[in-house]
Amino acid sequence: MSSWRRTVGVNAHWEVTRLRRSRRLWLLLIPPVAGPVGSAVADLYLRIPSAATAEILGLLVTAGLASLILLDLTALTVGEDLTHRADLLFVPLPQDRTAALAGRLLVSVGGCVGAYLVGALAVWVLGGALVTPPAPGLLPRAALFLPEHLLLAIPSLLLFLAGVTAAAAAFTRRPSEAIVAGVLAGVVVAGGAAYLLSQGELTLLFPELLAVAGAGAIGWTLATTARSAA
Amino acid sequence: MATSALRLDGVTYRYGDRTALSGLSFSVAPGEAVGYLGPNGAGKSTTLKLVAGVLRPTSGTVEILGAAAGVDARAHLGALIETPGVPPYLRGADVLEYVAAVRGMPPLDRAEAVRRASAALGVHERLGTPVGELSTGLHRRLLIAAALVGDPEILVLDEPTLGLDPLARHDLREALRALRASGRTLLVSTHLLDDVEAVCDRVLFLRDGRLVGDEPVREGGPSNAPGDRRTVILQFAKRVPPSAVRALLGPDESVTDSAETELAVELPGDDLRQAELIAAIVGAQLPLVGARPARDRLTQRYLQAVGREDP
Repeated sequence: MSSWRRTVGVNAHWEVTRLRRSRRLWLLLIPPVAGPVGSAVADLYLRIPSAATAEILGLLVTAGLASLILLDLTALTVGEDLTHRADLLFVPLPQDRTAALAGRLLVSVGGCVGAYLVGALAVWVLGGALVTPPAPGLLPRAALFLPEHLLLAIPSLLLFLAGVTAAAAAFTRRPSEAIVAGVLAGVVVAGGAAYLLSQGELTLLFPELLAVAGAGAIGWTLATTARSAA
Repeated sequence: MATSALRLDGVTYRYGDRTALSGLSFSVAPGEAVGYLGPNGAGKSTTLKLVAGVLRPTSGTVEILGAAAGVDARAHLGALIETPGVPPYLRGADVLEYVAAVRGMPPLDRAEAVRRASAALGVHERLGTPVGELSTGLHRRLLIAAALVGDPEILVLDEPTLGLDPLARHDLREALRALRASGRTLLVSTHLLDDVEAVCDRVLFLRDGRLVGDEPVREGGPSNAPGDRRTVILQFAKRVPPSAVRALLGPDESVTDSAETELAVELPGDDLRQAELIAAIVGAQLPLVGARPARDRLTQRYLQAVGREDP
């Protein structure tokens, strides 16, 4: 096994230890549990008329919860050691700093995306069962867009938010400020998506751009971490 | 085999417009224990950060066992730089096991490595306690234990006894002496001259980012090994002429006035010789009230080197 891969593995395990010790690991249960349950209650209360609309609502609720947890975990993964100056303990160790941070982000970002996907799967299974049929003779309004597109677009949104939050944490060295940056980025993305939707111009290009921007921000964070001074 | 465990050659480091280190060059031989002294802001921590790879020099080179101070070379290095914080929810065992894993130790060997390092610093019984619940001294000892995991050949320690109570400080000094005796190379930055005298062979004085002194800790000898000459201060209840003590010791021993009621006696440095001296003086019924090693000379050398004539 190469040194780089070994470092990624050791630090992924280290991140799991940190999540376990800080109890933050439990947060990853929220999207797959609260997302489907919460949206199911909303489906029934709002008398959702079609399976597609129920799936969209469920995916948005699950993605919202996953996003909030992602902001928290990513900000702490990058910024907590900088705030505590624990980097003075870990940087002198014989390991590649880029690989070390990559291993840790793999767990925090990957864990949140994975939690979202589990929740999305549950929403997909439950969505059709929670529809309230419209009155006889009426057709349900069409959904805003295909839920399959949303299902695939949300991981791009999560990657974008992770990138913005990680870069902000590396820049400010404070998780709290990184979370604020992530929230603001989420608001901008939501506003942009709503505008494009209202104009009928929301295409898959939008999440693709988000994914590229997010990956770029994470790459910048890794490069910055590798050469930054503690 | 590399002739130097650590070598800095023409190292300059700048924080923006401010020059923290300017053309710094020195080397530390394998197995040598070197104290690194200087006032606040002299550049001691910056030097140690450069050695540990936390910073990269603006110019010049840093070598560890003959290789550039990169990731691979740091496998030979254990470092404590300033006072790192550890997230309070982590256990000491978590931190030490992580260090062992990063050092590439097989999983089955990690527990033993953690046990050895923590036992050397007396923190093995508190490894299961969250770091946030440890006292300042225990926290410090845990950090030093982290530097020891994997038995690196070279230890770079920044103020290792900071925040320790007298007993813990004594224990840590003994641990450092044991490490030195086992052949480890030590570079210890500190403000506490007693620590340097207790542990180190050689001392470097740093001022304004420049090396202004490089000499043995003990004057008149290259090391504090048994057999070197050592100066002891004898304290009396009233003034005693040097000739009275010299008559007891023989003409080869240097006895001079150190203060109004003190005499500085230079004698072979092993404990047995000192005991013979004390016994002889007590037997002669001189008004002896105390004896201590002559440590103040390092203080004077330090103050002269960094720019003050006297405390």
